[in-house]
Amino acid sequence: MADIRLEVPAENSVLEVLYDGSELHQQPPSMSEHLTQLARKIDFATDGEEIKEEKKEEEEEEEKQPFQQPHWPLEEVRNKIRQALTEVSVLHDLLAVVKPKPPQYMVLDPVQADPPEPKAYIQFLSLKKSLQAAGTILLNGAERLRTSQAEMGRPGRVVGQDFHIELLRLRQNWRLKKVGSTILGDLSYRSAGSMYRHSGIFEVSKADDGPGGPGILSIGSGGASPVAPQLGPRAIQSSLRVTVPTELTGSAYIFVCIKKDEEDICSAQLTSSDFVSGETHWQQKLEKAQNVLFCKELFSQLAREAVKLTPSIPHLVVGNQITATIFPGIHLLVGLCHSDGKNGQKGGSGVLVPGNSGTGGVVVGGNNHGSTTNMAPTSVMAGASMAGAPGVGLGGLGPSKYKHEHDLEHSLHQLLHRVYHHSFQHPLPHPVYAYMGMSKRRRAAGPEGMDKTQLVNMMKEQTLLEQIIRQVQHNFLRLRTMYVIDQLAAEFKDPLIVSHWNAFNSPTRSCVKINIATQGYDSVLRTKLVIHISERSLKCICRDGKIMTMSFEPQELRNLILCQISQHNMAALQCLARYTGWTVLSSEQNVGTGAIEPLGNASTVMLASPSGNKVIGVHSGPHQRVSVMVSSSPRPDFYPSTVVSGQRWENLGASWQEVRHDRMEGRNFLNKMELLMAALTA
Amino acid sequence: MAQQAKQPQSREALLKSYNKRLKDDVKSILDNFMEIVKLGLVEDESQVSRMTQVEEIHFQMQVRSANMVRAAESLMKLVADVKQYLILNDFPSVNEAITQNSQIFKVKSQEADQKLMTLRDDMASDLYELEEEFYSSVYKEK
Repeated sequence: MADIRLEVPAENSVLEVLYDGSELHQQPPSMSEHLTQLARKIDFATDGEEIKEEKKEEEEEEEKQPFQQPHWPLEEVRNKIRQALTEVSVLHDLLAVVKPKPPQYMVLDPVQADPPEPKAYIQFLSLKKSLQAAGTILLNGAERLRTSQAEMGRPGRVVGQDFHIELLRLRQNWRLKKVGSTILGDLSYRSAGSMYRHSGIFEVSKADDGPGGPGILSIGSGGASPVAPQLGPRAIQSSLRVTVPTELTGSAYIFVCIKKDEEDICSAQLTSSDFVSGETHWQQKLEKAQNVLFCKELFSQLAREAVKLTPSIPHLVVGNQITATIFPGIHLLVGLCHSDGKNGQKGGSGVLVPGNSGTGGVVVGGNNHGSTTNMAPTSVMAGASMAGAPGVGLGGLGPSKYKHEHDLEHSLHQLLHRVYHHSFQHPLPHPVYAYMGMSKRRRAAGPEGMDKTQLVNMMKEQTLLEQIIRQVQHNFLRLRTMYVIDQLAAEFKDPLIVSHWNAFNSPTRSCVKINIATQGYDSVLRTKLVIHISERSLKCICRDGKIMTMSFEPQELRNLILCQISQHNMAALQCLARYTGWTVLSSEQNVGTGAIEPLGNASTVMLASPSGNKVIGVHSGPHQRVSVMVSSSPRPDFYPSTVVSGQRWENLGASWQEVRHDRMEGRNFLNKMELLMAALTA
Repeated sequence: MAQQAKQPQSREALLKSYNKRLKDDVKSILDNFMEIVKLGLVEDESQVSRMTQVEEIHFQMQVRSANMVRAAESLMKLVADVKQYLILNDFPSVNEAITQNSQIFKVKSQEADQKLMTLRDDMASDLYELEEEFYSSVYKEK
């Protein structure tokens, strides 16, 4: 016989039939819902009373159950008496505790009468007082805020004194970033292409009003209130303070000078007065610090190159000065002068410029590519300021004798700037597959199959030191050339030596044009020559197209000009003879006779008068004075003898007689010769 | 790349913290004010003695008002911080300033170059005549 189970149908009622035929079932009711559903089915109106009665009966039965079984009749009485005994015992114990004198654990106090009525007004008063105190605190706080706001927005306030405005200005000019709670700035030229390892970090903080002043604390300190009132506005004082590293404080510059061998290396002669004091504006302070950083980088670069380069005479790097030999006996000295404003001065050195302390070239600011155009130093200025000839001591000139070459310092700065520029500026267009910074020629090196030598030559770049040495050599040679020309111009009044310096120069090339002319006879003849000055040599282009290359020795130039003067005199005399109708009988540039010249050859010219009866002979050498001889025909002292009996032989020229032309009238040689010709013609 | 991704995150976090500080401070001011007002209510009975209660209210009011002041100052500090953040991180305006500066300096340098060139030309022409005159004179001796 099988069991029959009665179960609730498993399926719940269908809630919804979807379009695809699936059915959504209603969830089975919970217990409470089920109960509610069942309860709804009961009709309380019909059977309620019966159920209540039944319930009451059940409750009564339950209550009566403990009382229905007493053990014996007086049990209730016994229970009450026991309870009373318990209470009395407790009372007794209590009294026993209270009784001992002095009371040890407990005392008895009389019960107070009714508590007094609470006095509400005291509470009100205290509340009022509390509120007043709170109000005062709030008012004080508001006052502080207002004062600080007024301080910031006061119309009469110096513009730029607000911290944030100043910070904004600082941000517009310098790189800043926030690290933690401090603001750090960057002074270095790294973003411009520098590779110097110094970090160049400075710190920006809010300016303190000094000890004892109202508390404007440093931003870096964190929890300080930034709105604390700033009492007692000072004079123009920045509300921003920058702290640069100690090694970058003060001011610095690169000292560049040229010194002779025999002079001692002198100690620092830092006469600059632009030291940074503690109160300078941040902009100046930062600029100075950046300059210090730049100078340090420049110097370290130069020192590195000086050690690396191996010229015939090695460069000397001692402390913070570099000595390089530019010409025999002439040295370039580059020193780093840095003064931190506290310990005075350190570093650097000053020495003499040999031969001249004349003004250097005026440096015309270059364009973006940093090219320099040196104005040709004026001969006038150089001539006027040429206090010391080579070999003449300048010891009496005092501190000013340490001539700092500002233009060379500027050139050094430009060279480093150019290095920066090249490190970031790559020539375009640039193929995507090539490394950055590679030149076009180097990219083409592979396809063109260059050999190692070509590659090495291509990679060879001039270091900063080499470049500056070339510039210094040129500078020195230029000044020396100028000096030699001026010396000769002062030495020789006749003919005049006029030099014109070209204004279009480069740092390593310059050019001077020399005109030799006799005063008053300019139109007769001008001897022109052009001298190109490069680093270690001079190139002279003469009037006749000859090109002569000379070394840096000044004597060579001097000899050349002396030769030119001598030739000029001769050539001018021939031209003059042409104007005056005299005939040039002979002209010899290089005579083999007469006294031997130390350098070059003497030249002679012979002129005959229009009638032919007078002959003038002129002899001139580079190092000899001009001598003038006159001969006449017919000779006045012709007497027929037994050997020479014919009268016609008196037409032969007489013996030569020297004219002491230095005693003659006339302003210069040509004038004297003109007068002489006139006198002989008459 | 990771660092770049990290930076915006920290920036976001910073901006959120500014927002949170703002809300916290304003809420603190409001709450403290409400509490002070509530403290003004006179209560009849309480467990503690009246003097204690009075002192407590007094002290609580002081603390709460001081809290309000602190929150206000904190708001000012927040303003300062936001300003500072904006100044330090507003790259477009910085770029603009840099462009403007470089423009100004370029113009200045061009002007200076031009002036120097003019000066150089003038000086060169004057110098030529002066040299001519000087070397023709008798005053060239030192």
